[in-house]
Formats: sequence, C-alpha cells, structure tokens
Amino acid sequence: MFAAAVISVAMAALSTVGATSSSPLVDLANTIVSPFREAYTAAAAWVGDKQRYYMDTTELESENAELKRRIAEMEEKIRDAEAALAENVLLHDLLNLREQRRDLSDIEAAMITEHAVTNWTSSLTLNKGTALGIEVGDCVIDQTGALVGVISQAGVNWSTVLTLVDTDTSLGAQMFRTKDLGVAKGDFSLMTRERLRLDYLPEDCKLLSGDLVMTSGLGGYYPSGLVIGSIEEVLLDDSGAASYAIIAPAVDFDGLSEVFVIKSFEIVT
Amino acid sequence: MQRVEIWGVIPFIYPLLAAVPATYEGAVPGTIFAMGVGILCDQLLPGPIPCLYTLIFPLVGLFSALLSKSVLRAGFLCSFAASAIAFFLTDGFRCIILWMQSKAAWEAGMDVMVREFWVTLPLAVPVTVVYRKIFRRTQFD
Repeated sequence: MFAAAVISVAMAALSTVGATSSSPLVDLANTIVSPFREAYTAAAAWVGDKQRYYMDTTELESENAELKRRIAEMEEKIRDAEAALAENVLLHDLLNLREQRRDLSDIEAAMITEHAVTNWTSSLTLNKGTALGIEVGDCVIDQTGALVGVISQAGVNWSTVLTLVDTDTSLGAQMFRTKDLGVAKGDFSLMTRERLRLDYLPEDCKLLSGDLVMTSGLGGYYPSGLVIGSIEEVLLDDSGAASYAIIAPAVDFDGLSEVFVIKSFEIVT
Repeated sequence: MQRVEIWGVIPFIYPLLAAVPATYEGAVPGTIFAMGVGILCDQLLPGPIPCLYTLIFPLVGLFSALLSKSVLRAGFLCSFAASAIAFFLTDGFRCIILWMQSKAAWEAGMDVMVREFWVTLPLAVPVTVVYRKIFRRTQFD
C-alpha cells in the first residue's frame, strides 16, 4: 500500500513538473509508441488505398462495360444512318434520272458487288437480278445517264454487266454533232486502257476529238440518246481504206458503286 | 484477290489450282480434278464461250501431270513450270477465240498473259505448300 502510494505521488509530481511541455513519462511513452503509430498509420493508409483502388476498379469496369455497350449502340446507329444516306443518294439520283429521261419507263437501282474478275473481260456484278425483273440484254447506266454496259447474265439476286469496253460489247452509235452512224465495239487491245472503237463510219464523216457519241437506238434493242463517250482520236484501219475512232467512255468504271438498270423503255423515233 | 491490281493486271489463281494438284496426283486424277476446277470456273467467271475453262483445264492438268512424271519431280520448280504451261494454254486459247471472233489481239493478249503469269506466280508457293500437305496426309492415310 505504501509503495503504491509512493509511486502515485511520484507520478503526480512528475506530471506537474514543467506544465508547458509534456511530462517525461508521456514523452517516453509516445517516443516508444511513435514508430508503431507510424507503421499502423501507413498500414491503414495502404489498406484504405487498396480498398479505394478495388472500388474504383470495379466502378471503372462497370462504367467501361456500359460505355462499350453505348459505343456499340452508336456505331450501329451510324451504320444504319450511313446505309440510309447511301440509299437516299441512290433514290435521289434515280428520281433525277427519271425526270431527265421520261422515255426510260422502268429503271432499277443496283449496287455493284464486284468489279472485273478476270483480265480478259471487263465486267461488273450487281446485287439485283431476275427477282426484280432484270433480264439479259438490259442496258445499265450511271446516275448521269451515261451508258455503263449491258446485262450479260442474270440470276435470282445477281446479274453480270459486260461493260462498254468488253470485247463482246457491240452497240449502234450515233455522233451527237454530225448525226453520223457507226458501231461502238469493245476491242481487247483497248480494253486495258478502258477505251473502245467506233467502226463502220461513213466515208465522208468529219469527226473531231471530243465529239460526243451516243446510242443510236436503231433496231430498238437499246434506248437512244444514252451517252457512250467522246471521240479521243480518229485513225485509219490496217487496210488504210476505212477510218475508225477511239472512244473514251463517259463512265469511270473504277469509281462506280451504283448503277441503274433500264428494264424497259419507250422507243423514240 | 480480284481487287488487287499489280502491274496493270489482277492475279488469276484458278489455272494454278488446276495445274499444281495434277503434278502430285498423276495424269488421270489430275486431269479429272482440273476438269472439276474448270467446270466450277465456268459457273463463276464470265468468258467468251460458256465452256472455256472446262475445255482447257483438263489439258492443263494432263500436261502438268506429264511434266512431273517425265521431266521435273513434283515440287516448287515443277509447280512454277506447270503454272507457265497453265497460263500459256489458258490465255493462248483466249487469244485463239478472239482471233476466231475476228477480234484478233495477239500482241495485247501475249502482253496480258506474261503479266498475269508473273503476277500470279508467287501464289504458286502457298498453293504448292498446301496441296503437298494435303497430298502427303491423304497418301499416308
């Protein structure tokens, strides 16, 4: 009892010494505890940091998933909008064409799904066929009304167009300026340059470079007045007796993506 | 492949598909297989006559098989030679058809044939590798 009383008194005395600074006992206790306190605080901070990191990561993952879903939705909408825009352009062109050429009574718009498949033919494959009334021999034009070629094969949902420059193409042609008649034919030597020949010209015809060549419509196989191209140069054939011309087509075959198939037309006399 | 244009022409792999297998398979199976490829090509590709490939590819198969049997052992070198034969026959026949239709274009035709051959020749390597694997597997089985 006495010893306890002495210790209590001593501690009270020590605690009252120097009231402005911590007592030696408090100082000692805190000095000893300080590293442990720092370690505990650091550990607590680490655990808190990890908790926050986990929570942030979980939140970010869910946010990321949500954003991805929204991006996918937006991309789908953009694709739909692009398809609608392309269809709009196509229908707009078709409307213009119908207004310009009232004799072309039935026109079907089509997309090109494939360009030339061999080096020996100049062809295009379309995404529409007999299911929509397309037949072999139908003329194919672009949005400006220039002739692209003629349907050579037609399936249910596809058709093949032999372009103007293909060796199997042969069309009645008429010069816009002089009204002279001729036959526009594909020639293999010119096909790689995307040109065709104008044969069977009258002896007295006076063609100039740049003269416009159009379909004659004679025979009623093809509509008249479709632009084939323009005269590039006039040459003499191998015999030297007859002349022929090289035609540069009005259509840029490589740049084509949409065309119009003339399913029926009125013969203009 | 058809959208890739090199040196002004597009690679044309079908003659290789008729020629290379025949160098491994021999005359009869090679010719029959090449005819099958020809029939398929005639269904898919436009041509000046409806049976161009059906007529020519069996010849390609036959000549390729004879080449591997009597001149060169089947392999890359033989495939290159067979490819040359394939293009010579296929494109040569096209030139003859153009000539028969009074649209002769020998010079332009030969020019296209040479360019088509060189542009397509690198494809003979993967075709040979693939077909050799198929051939070995089917032979061991």
